[in-house]
Amino acid sequence: MSYPLEIENLRTQIRLRHSVVQAVSDLSLHIEAGETLGLVGESGCGKSMTGLSIMGLLPPGGSIVGGSVRVDGRELVGLPEPELQRVRGNEVAMVFQDSMTSLNPTRTIGYQVAEPVRRHLGAGKAEARERALEVLGLVGLPRPAERLDDYPHQLSGGLRQRVLIAMALACGPKVLIADEPTTAMDVTIQSQILHLLDDLKKRLGMAVLLITHDMGVVAGRADRVHVMYAGQLVERAGTTELFDAMAHPYTQGLLASIPQLDQPPASTLYSIPGIPPDLADPPRGCRFAARCPYADARCETEPTLAVTGPARAGAEHEVACWHPVEGPLPRLAAPTPAPSATPTPGPTATARPATEPAPGPATGPQEDERAELVAVTGLVREFPVRSGLFGRSGLSVKAVSDVSFTVRRGETFGLVGESGCGKSTIGRMVVALDRPDRGAVALRGEDLATLGGRPLRRRRRDLQLMFQDPYASLDPRVRVGATLREPLEIQGIGSRREQDRRIRELLAEVGLPGSAVDRYPHEFSGGQRQRIGLARALALSPALIVADEPVSALDVSIRSQVLNLMKRLQATHELSYVVISHDLAVVKYLADRIGVMYLGRLVEVGPAAEIYAAPAHHYTAGLIDSIPVPDPRAERSKPRDGVRGELPSPVHPPSGCRFRTRCPAAQAICAEELPPLRPFGPGHAAACHFPLREPEPDRPAAPVATLATPVTPVTPAGRTTEQTADPSTPDSRRTP
Amino acid sequence: MSITAGVEPPGTPPTLTAAPEGGPVHVSIPIWRLALRSFVENRLAVAGVVILVFFVLFSFVGPLLYHTNQVDTDIANTFLPPQPGNPLGTESHGFDVLGRLMKGGQSSLEIAFLSAVIATVIGTLYGALAGLAGGLLDAAMMRLVDVLLAIPFLFIVLIIATRFNASVLSLSLLLGAFSWLVPARLVRGEVLSLRSRDFVSAARVMGAGRWRLISRHLIPNALGVVVVNITFQVADALLAVSALGFLGFGLNYPQVSWGDMLSNGISYLLSGYWWLIYPVGLCLVLVVMASNFIGDALRDAVDVRLRRR
Amino acid sequence: MVLLGISVLVFVLLHAISSSPGRAVLGVQASAASVAAFNHAHGYDRPLPLQYLSYLGSLLHGDLGYSYKLNQPVTALLGENAGRSAFLSAVSLVLSVVIAVPLGILQAVKRNTVIDNSLTGLAFVLYSIPAFFLGLVLIEFFSLRLNLLPSEASQATTVLGVVADPVSMILPVVTLTAVSVAAFSRYMRSSALDNLAQDYIRVARAKGLTERQVLSRHLLRNSCLPIITLVGLSLPALLAGNLIVETVFNFPGLGLLFFNSLQKEDYPVLMAYSLIVGVLTVLGNLVADVALAFTDPRIRLH
Repeated sequence: MSYPLEIENLRTQIRLRHSVVQAVSDLSLHIEAGETLGLVGESGCGKSMTGLSIMGLLPPGGSIVGGSVRVDGRELVGLPEPELQRVRGNEVAMVFQDSMTSLNPTRTIGYQVAEPVRRHLGAGKAEARERALEVLGLVGLPRPAERLDDYPHQLSGGLRQRVLIAMALACGPKVLIADEPTTAMDVTIQSQILHLLDDLKKRLGMAVLLITHDMGVVAGRADRVHVMYAGQLVERAGTTELFDAMAHPYTQGLLASIPQLDQPPASTLYSIPGIPPDLADPPRGCRFAARCPYADARCETEPTLAVTGPARAGAEHEVACWHPVEGPLPRLAAPTPAPSATPTPGPTATARPATEPAPGPATGPQEDERAELVAVTGLVREFPVRSGLFGRSGLSVKAVSDVSFTVRRGETFGLVGESGCGKSTIGRMVVALDRPDRGAVALRGEDLATLGGRPLRRRRRDLQLMFQDPYASLDPRVRVGATLREPLEIQGIGSRREQDRRIRELLAEVGLPGSAVDRYPHEFSGGQRQRIGLARALALSPALIVADEPVSALDVSIRSQVLNLMKRLQATHELSYVVISHDLAVVKYLADRIGVMYLGRLVEVGPAAEIYAAPAHHYTAGLIDSIPVPDPRAERSKPRDGVRGELPSPVHPPSGCRFRTRCPAAQAICAEELPPLRPFGPGHAAACHFPLREPEPDRPAAPVATLATPVTPVTPAGRTTEQTADPSTPDSRRTP
Repeated sequence: MSITAGVEPPGTPPTLTAAPEGGPVHVSIPIWRLALRSFVENRLAVAGVVILVFFVLFSFVGPLLYHTNQVDTDIANTFLPPQPGNPLGTESHGFDVLGRLMKGGQSSLEIAFLSAVIATVIGTLYGALAGLAGGLLDAAMMRLVDVLLAIPFLFIVLIIATRFNASVLSLSLLLGAFSWLVPARLVRGEVLSLRSRDFVSAARVMGAGRWRLISRHLIPNALGVVVVNITFQVADALLAVSALGFLGFGLNYPQVSWGDMLSNGISYLLSGYWWLIYPVGLCLVLVVMASNFIGDALRDAVDVRLRRR
Repeated sequence: MVLLGISVLVFVLLHAISSSPGRAVLGVQASAASVAAFNHAHGYDRPLPLQYLSYLGSLLHGDLGYSYKLNQPVTALLGENAGRSAFLSAVSLVLSVVIAVPLGILQAVKRNTVIDNSLTGLAFVLYSIPAFFLGLVLIEFFSLRLNLLPSEASQATTVLGVVADPVSMILPVVTLTAVSVAAFSRYMRSSALDNLAQDYIRVARAKGLTERQVLSRHLLRNSCLPIITLVGLSLPALLAGNLIVETVFNFPGLGLLFFNSLQKEDYPVLMAYSLIVGVLTVLGNLVADVALAFTDPRIRLH
């Protein structure tokens, strides 16, 4: 019997100038027609190289050195290039990650989709165009006939990804390889695309290889899951079986280190210590042993994939481990492994007068008496649009429109929203890197905009920033020691010797060795650089750190290390954070309160637990629905509506409620009137005419009074008239 | 290469005493050494350096070892073919060609380096100012560069050269004064891109003033581009000097540059005095090529440093 | 705007160098009084801005000045030579692009092979040879040694005459082309390399296109985009090359005229030609922008 795709003992190498990377070692898998196989692993684990090996599209220096790849029983390894070309795009097709760069910018999408049809099916121009139209309709491109002659840059990211998928489907392939098809996307678009892939697979009966780093993505979409680590398969099983009863410690750790929406905020995330091995010189024996809490002498010989445990009926579950574990780690009492590796900073480790170890910021949403630290009121920021030849166009991007919130001492305020919603701009304004056009950012009641020059520079000690890109945020030619000394020097803190001591303290606090002082940034891994960035932000003992996507660029197992560190530092330093992220799970894990932004406006704000459990705004609900959850059952039982459509242009935002163009409950009034923020509980407010829950009884005087946060009423032209209780149906499926 | 110190078998000397939570740090390779490595791996670049060093020694140390009279003409011994005593023959004034090559090399290299430095200094300051100032000043400054770039450099220099008494210094000044446009653009672009980098924002958030940003972060990081530019400027200046020489605006006798020698030798093309043309032509081409090699490799090395992730 | 700037610049430059045209025209022997009279008669004693304005005024009427040395209006002088120069430049520009584009792509595709390395080496050599030296070496070899080609370019007075005598134009065109090819092909190579690393090339291969289809349908156009701008920008260099090549091959074009005027210190001609070159450069950039807009849909829309 032959499968649409069958791989046996595949070995792929990449020859670099100084070394040979063993990208894929001895990998076997097969996929049946109509089945989705999820291939998961962290970056550099060889999952993408597996996909490229199948296609015969390895990068320069790459080659398959052993094993076999069969499509419908036909061997592809060793096939001459012209033969292989006839298979590519015809029997096996691939969808790549980045839809921006994967389409040729100078060819129309109609041309690009028709191309494989002309190549493989010998169709004429008109015929191929006909087929292009058909598949573009199939992938849900709105009005495909009008779009055939569009160029890629005229489409949004989500639509471009649909075009890419259409291109792959044009010849009706038997096997579709989707390599991180949704990674760079916003969650709302991600869920649309994943849904589409699922649907197409069912309709066309393809075998789908879904390559991703996101456990949540495979949980909902894959029939079986293969886990890769350091170029090898370490575990494979049916999806539910894998999530319920994983046997490899790596799988277990990977899953436990993902913050989940229902994560109790007080718990520490599990984290896998260390970093993956270098595949140019892989360790002998089990490649995970160096990071494995169960490793012993036996792990020095390499384990092979073997059936594990009591073979459950039909559960084809194999694991490559000498000490298989049984199922997931208990969620609540997650122990932090390798406690020796965590230098607990004693009271002497901090420079500031030892503050009492804070009771932890997550002691429940009791009415906050903590002092207000930062108050943001009526913030507006617009960027003029420059157009090619004539300079100014008079248009502007409405990046931030009338946003207000407060951050209290020791608390974490989370800002979530899709890319382009203005959250990063707010972050920059909060640390005074950018000035608002209107509105104010006040630090302990003092408006930052009124400060200038020297006083502002001194005030900056209290406001620090942590960046997303761990590579761009450190000056490449400055040693780590000097990087950490810089803030102290600028603010004139301490003598040189005191500064030296402080630098070592900071490094110890963020879990880096003292020897790091003399190293350059390029010698550190991404996670380590984020630690350095955090140490630099801490150097001035700030009151507030704005963390802009602090873990987005990191791998899952590293992510949890940094998140845990951020929490620990908050507790020991009584820090406040503003955490900005598109990842609601990350924000939910860190934040006490959350603000949800849409297209420059704050649409909902409230305690983190309540926002998640009982959102009032349709956008918030859709956002939560869209997040892939690493739990197959939850993921499959999810209603599949998410958020429809695409983000409108911030240059011409919709009138009234900006979300109305994608809102399931939108009515005429939504286009006419801007919904004000109305209270939905203590500290909870949302701006919607037809909310998912009944708002609290109207107190027209000032909603501010009812809110713990003085959210100024959104009042263009002083519109205070309230809607009478609207007859919207509160969504019953969401029970707290 | 990457090892987690904590699980190393006991007995091997641990790289770190206690495994820090953030994981171990790899063996230190300073960034300049990475750049150096990428530079050395480029064989052309190494060849370029060897050639350049050779010609610098040839021109400046050579005359100390190989004495010739380059001042008094020797009418009796003009156009001698290569022979013992005159390995490369003599030229129209009876000067020994090998000795003259050294003398010409001195002034050619001096002019090339001096003008390259002048151009780079002016261009760097101008470009940095425009990039830092931004707004209207930037726009005005760059418009001026556009205007100057529209007229070929050679034309302007030629027009001015008609009025100049050409010496090493005046030619260097002249070439330098009109070839800073490209470095100005480059540096401005670099400053603009650096200004928006996260690490510069980080310094601003710490309260760093303008001068600190410029001196600590912008200048050192823009330096790579500047250094690369110098080497290309050297190549261009050598070519420009030789073109001026060919068109009759070279150094005044008894000073001489390779370009002057070449254009002088070319008048005897028909007479078959090849030793007046090919040796000097070869020197010129080799040095220009060497500078281009070095520039190319330096640019790659700088790129490696910036791109390295 | 830029054009205005160029005219100011050229004007100021020439005035700084030759503040008393009377002296230049009448010679060193002329009396101070006659020089002053000449300057007055031609308005050269007025304040500089006024002189500039009247200069600008005549410019707008197509009057580029009068060459006292050659006793001819500059416009007529330039007109005589422009066609020949344009022919030389155009032919070599077209040739360079036609040669450099496929060459650069070939090098990028065969990156770091013997072919690539030898072509790169050749480009480096050509790039490093002074144009006049190259021209003379070619003359020595092909005219003097082999006696195959004439050492002098066509002396025909009309463009048609030049076209009718293509053999004599081979060496000048080759010289001028070689240098541009060296520069263009290096750019083309790096541009093609950048594009080859792009995802859409991988996607094109994943569609099963043959390598030739990938290159011709997807790589070629995208790699050429930066070259279009480069060609526009290279106009000043090309015209400077003209100056050298026309001098070497004694081809009566604008470059040779410029060179002769330079020796005669005939400033109105120098000024006019510099101005023309400036205008051509600006036009070249404009044409490049328009051409780019035609080939790159991303620009077309804005």
